[in-house]
Amino acid sequence: MIAAGEGGASPELEARFAKGIDLQKIRALLFEAREQAGLPAETVCVLNLLAVHFSTAAYERSKASLEGASALHPARLISLIAEPKLSPEQVIARVSTVRPKGSASALEHIVLTAQGGAVRHLESAVTGLLVPEVPLAVVWGGRPEGDLLRHVAESADRVIIDSGTRPVQALADVAALLARGAPLGDLAWARIYPWQALAADVLDLPRLREHRGNVVSARVTAAGEPGPEAALLAGWFQSRVRQARVELSAGPSSGGDVVELRFEAPPAVFTLRRENWILAAEVRGDDDGELVHRVRVPPDAPGRLLGMELQLLSGQDALYAAAVAQAVRFLGGRGTNSVQARK
Amino acid sequence: MAYSSEHDEIPNPLRAGLRGDAVPEPCAVVVFGGSGDLAHRKILPALYNLALNAHLPAAFGVVGVSRSEYTDEQYRAEMREAVGRFSRTQPVQEDVWKDFAAGLRYCAGSFDDPSTYRRLGEVLQELDRTRATRGNRLFYLATPPSTFPVILRNLKDAGLINKDGEGPFTRVVVEKPFGHDLASARELNRLLLQVCDEKQIFRIDHYLGKETVQNLLVFRFANAIFEPVWNRRYVDQVQITAGEELGIEQRGGYYEEAGVLRDMLQNHVLQLLTLTAMEPPVAFDADAVRDEKLKVLRAIVPLDSPEQVRKRLVLGQYREGSVAGMGVPGYQQEKGVAPGSKTPTFVALKLCINNWRWDGVPFYLRSGKRLPKRATEIAVHFSGLPHSLFDNGPTQPNVLIIHVQPEEGITLRFAAKVPGEGYRPRMVSMDFRYGTAFGNSTPEAYERLLLDAMRGDQTLFTRKDEVEAAWRLIDGILQVVERGEGVVPYPYPAGTWGPSEADALLAADGRQWRRL
Repeated sequence: MIAAGEGGASPELEARFAKGIDLQKIRALLFEAREQAGLPAETVCVLNLLAVHFSTAAYERSKASLEGASALHPARLISLIAEPKLSPEQVIARVSTVRPKGSASALEHIVLTAQGGAVRHLESAVTGLLVPEVPLAVVWGGRPEGDLLRHVAESADRVIIDSGTRPVQALADVAALLARGAPLGDLAWARIYPWQALAADVLDLPRLREHRGNVVSARVTAAGEPGPEAALLAGWFQSRVRQARVELSAGPSSGGDVVELRFEAPPAVFTLRRENWILAAEVRGDDDGELVHRVRVPPDAPGRLLGMELQLLSGQDALYAAAVAQAVRFLGGRGTNSVQARK
Repeated sequence: MAYSSEHDEIPNPLRAGLRGDAVPEPCAVVVFGGSGDLAHRKILPALYNLALNAHLPAAFGVVGVSRSEYTDEQYRAEMREAVGRFSRTQPVQEDVWKDFAAGLRYCAGSFDDPSTYRRLGEVLQELDRTRATRGNRLFYLATPPSTFPVILRNLKDAGLINKDGEGPFTRVVVEKPFGHDLASARELNRLLLQVCDEKQIFRIDHYLGKETVQNLLVFRFANAIFEPVWNRRYVDQVQITAGEELGIEQRGGYYEEAGVLRDMLQNHVLQLLTLTAMEPPVAFDADAVRDEKLKVLRAIVPLDSPEQVRKRLVLGQYREGSVAGMGVPGYQQEKGVAPGSKTPTFVALKLCINNWRWDGVPFYLRSGKRLPKRATEIAVHFSGLPHSLFDNGPTQPNVLIIHVQPEEGITLRFAAKVPGEGYRPRMVSMDFRYGTAFGNSTPEAYERLLLDAMRGDQTLFTRKDEVEAAWRLIDGILQVVERGEGVVPYPYPAGTWGPSEADALLAADGRQWRRL
């Protein structure tokens, strides 16, 4: 048993391969890393977490998040960095064991950096390094589009993207993948969870439950032009309350983040606003009209959002798929919904 | 607008499919015994950790009520130190604490003085104004049971208890021990039901807040492979152990009154038994789960004659000995214990459940103080092989062990071939440990239970009829024991697994206790 404590990492062990990749050598390095860290030969692993990056800088940016999520869901973490424009053609394997702070379990981390033409061998190398019989979740660090992503989506149990880092129009590509059954998860979707939860919470309050069946309209307001998260929130609302007329509007400022969700169930009007780290919900028009609920937005610890998305280890999140499909309809300006600029 | 339950029929369209649990409504938690040990060690650290993990509404407040004189500032400082010492997460996040402490108040006063409740009412109104707690109250009675009647009566007289379903919610959390015997438990229930509805009463048994205990339901009812063998056809016996290294600490006065039968058996150990033996509930809701637990209690063959008690029960009391390498005094040398005390600190008991599933399967229970180690577990011993194919005699039967504490997890003991020539079977263990299979550090039982009480979910709290059924069972034993009808505690040295008579209890059935 490994005691939870301060955490730490074994020294990073490295091997370079100019021709082919010696998987046996990588496995031997893993064994050596475990020994050096004083870990038992058996490890606990509930999933293979494969992270795909297209530059070393992108990998470095997401490293803390990957390791944080692996603390929540013990994993073998394999990070792939594809640098097709670099030379010489080679694959560098770096292997370590990491015990995140406060975690009782250690994770094995294998980083494979492929340069030049060696990039094309990465996929076959990964297959040989996966822990058998546990799900494969892929964290996709590139654009949510293209043949490679489609191929990954077909072989993985779950693929996590971040549509929040892309223009809102890229949601159409996500919708296309989802329509083909891709098991996509999305960090942007995890980011809007507090808004969804608070909106659901207020309709669970005993004195406000009577409004549940009467929601007729809603408006999601973003800071400036609505970004993907605002579009997803509006899409979610529309997919859940089909009879409502839902608008996506641009508010003052910029950045595209959600600043307000307002919905009406006459005579009540519910308004959810973000005030720093607090989300506050108000109701007007009801006998009890006033501030009804305030919740803290969870602190943004590394890996928290990814950990949330990995709660589902296989298949499609039907709620998300419906929200994306609806968001794309908004963006296309079809149906009864609309994108409006707010004066 | 008045709440009407008819709206519960309309599903919340925004709730469907969301992953997390609902954050509780805005509310104030009032802790009677706010300067006491439980508040320091468990309740305030649990509330802080709920705040840390964003499980609390921002519109939230806590009021400590005790006789000790503190200002709000002094109370905050005292609780900050308590959270620093006892929180499972360290170090304390100062920004979270600052926010949490802004809603922390203290109300000094005697529990039998009506002016205490007037002042408490004013503090709660102030929290409603400044923290938007909306009149919702959770009263936590972390006080001796003797104070419950006076606290409840004064709360009602001060108009601090709302009827269920009328306006803001009022809920009452009651700490164990819930009564001293069946009559006092009934009296306490009567008193509670005079001031509030059963839906507002949360009788806490912190064992039910433990992940492994909750996992017992998932393990049994979310896996297809175990339930078919979870019955008299395949199970030979079940052993439930709740052992503690500790003695009675500074609680001699309490323990002299309670003893192991009231302190452990009536609540924690019987809860573990009911969860192990219950039928699948028709739904996973509070009443459906508790209905099934109640059926188990009602199917247990009572021990209500001196002969039955003498045959199926062994009591013990620890003497001087050595635990974890340290010499420790005997029970009768502990502070607050009467010389010549006959209070049992150990019990071993054989219970039988008369129903279709368990008829003929003995449930052996044991619990005690000053045992060699802290270990709480449920061990399901399966029947032996009908015939052994291999050399070296028959293999031992399979055992499935649910570890409740200190480590939470599950172990399956099964036979494997010893490597090499021949076919020599040996028993090996397959282990699942919560701490390693799930990266999250497991929440404290009090976190889960406080959150459920704030949400109004009673699944993990005991119901009136359930607590009375448990007392009915123990009452029969207590009456025989306390009349001194030939049932006295056998001495056992501290640091051993109880008196040898406990071993003889199982030996008479051709069985033995698991070596822990």
